[in-house]
Amino acid sequence: MKATLAPSSLISLPRHKVSSLRSPSLLIQSQRPSSALMTTMKTASRGSVAVTAAATSSVEALREGIAEFYNETSGLWEEIWGDHMHHGFYDPDSSVQLSDSGHREAQIRMIEESLRFAGVTEEKKIKRVVDVGCGIGGSSRYIASKFGAECVGITLSPVQAKRANDLAAAQSLSHKVSFQVADALEQPFEDGMFDLVWSMESGEHMPDKAKFVKELVRVAAPGGRIIIVTWCHRNLSQGEEALQPWEQNLLDRICKTFYLPAWCSTSDYVNLLQSLSLQDIKCADWSENVAPFWPAVIRTALTWKGLVSLLRSGMKSIKGALTMPLMIEGYKKGIIKFGIITCQKPL
Amino acid sequence: MRLIVHNMLTCNIKGVVNKFPLRIEAEKVVIKKEVDFNTDFLRHMLAKIEWKALVDGARSMGYTELPDHAPEAEESYSFLKKFHHALLELHLEEGSLVCQETGRKFPVEKGVPNMLLHEDEV
Repeated sequence: MKATLAPSSLISLPRHKVSSLRSPSLLIQSQRPSSALMTTMKTASRGSVAVTAAATSSVEALREGIAEFYNETSGLWEEIWGDHMHHGFYDPDSSVQLSDSGHREAQIRMIEESLRFAGVTEEKKIKRVVDVGCGIGGSSRYIASKFGAECVGITLSPVQAKRANDLAAAQSLSHKVSFQVADALEQPFEDGMFDLVWSMESGEHMPDKAKFVKELVRVAAPGGRIIIVTWCHRNLSQGEEALQPWEQNLLDRICKTFYLPAWCSTSDYVNLLQSLSLQDIKCADWSENVAPFWPAVIRTALTWKGLVSLLRSGMKSIKGALTMPLMIEGYKKGIIKFGIITCQKPL
Repeated sequence: MRLIVHNMLTCNIKGVVNKFPLRIEAEKVVIKKEVDFNTDFLRHMLAKIEWKALVDGARSMGYTELPDHAPEAEESYSFLKKFHHALLELHLEEGSLVCQETGRKFPVEKGVPNMLLHEDEV
């Protein structure tokens, strides 16, 4: 990857559209990369990733932590929320108290809105999809059914992969969807395999955003589309090198329980895609559209069923539940953003 | 793991040239008849499948009925039945997927391949 740290290449935002649905359109004022991304971009630009022994084993530890976290919590999540492990998409300022099925519909709407934002319609003839960070396969099964496409999903959690396969079999989708344990940063697929590369709320787990994006691009077919929906921190302003210490502190506390490495911003993703010459790069801030989600999750956790399940599930689940108010705080204070970034690989 | 999936998986170890196909070492094979026989789907898959990888994979799992080459003209019903069986009903429950170049074994447990690399393979 060429070094793209020259200020001139960072400031301008040529060609690509910035649009959003129903939330105020986000004009990216600055493209100063977050400090976390600066480190990964610098190492990548040297032509080889000069990772120290300590750094690699911390990546291994993170990978194991993520796998164990989802091994432990997936069953609990599925029991209460079903097979979609992502935010629902809501109309902004919707004050209506939704039922459980209302939230599930919102989760499906998240998939539909993401496809729509990326311009992925039936006409696009999506044949092969990769679901990067597939959870228990909710998105894969939904997209496979919608487009009649084949879908492979990858996750770090063996428990999730097995459950995802079992659900596919139960829904007569075994010939269309399958799930494997694999690393999003080292995908076991040939270049250019997939018409649609889907990453729904998995980007936040990736320790090397540059490598993550490079892999997404590698496995995308020429003309294929990439959709990244992820938690980010707010974009940095001109002259800002990093988040404020108190903001970083909040994120650090969330990182620990949810097994997240350093956060980056939506602009960072845009910059990465630009540096890899992707086309039609679009992004949006959907933070307003996901606001009802964490309060709803907390409400379900505080029901009798929720509490009992949590206690049975284990410490990681309990800690996860206790961290949820921090997510709400992060959104309210504008530190955490829910972003979508999409693009097309050139033909 | 079905052979329809095996036909897509590559060894992702850095520097490996001969990434596909992965050789199968089967320890436990199960026949799962979960997918309906659908000739349109099978014909669609026939166009995309790496035939030799499928034949070798099926043999490793104990099924030797597939011809060495896919038919060039109209496929017979009996061929499609064999193709369906190999592609969608043979299920590797326990075993390994072996990189032909390095010999590295990727385990398959409870039907799920684990393609995670070690630190030194990245």
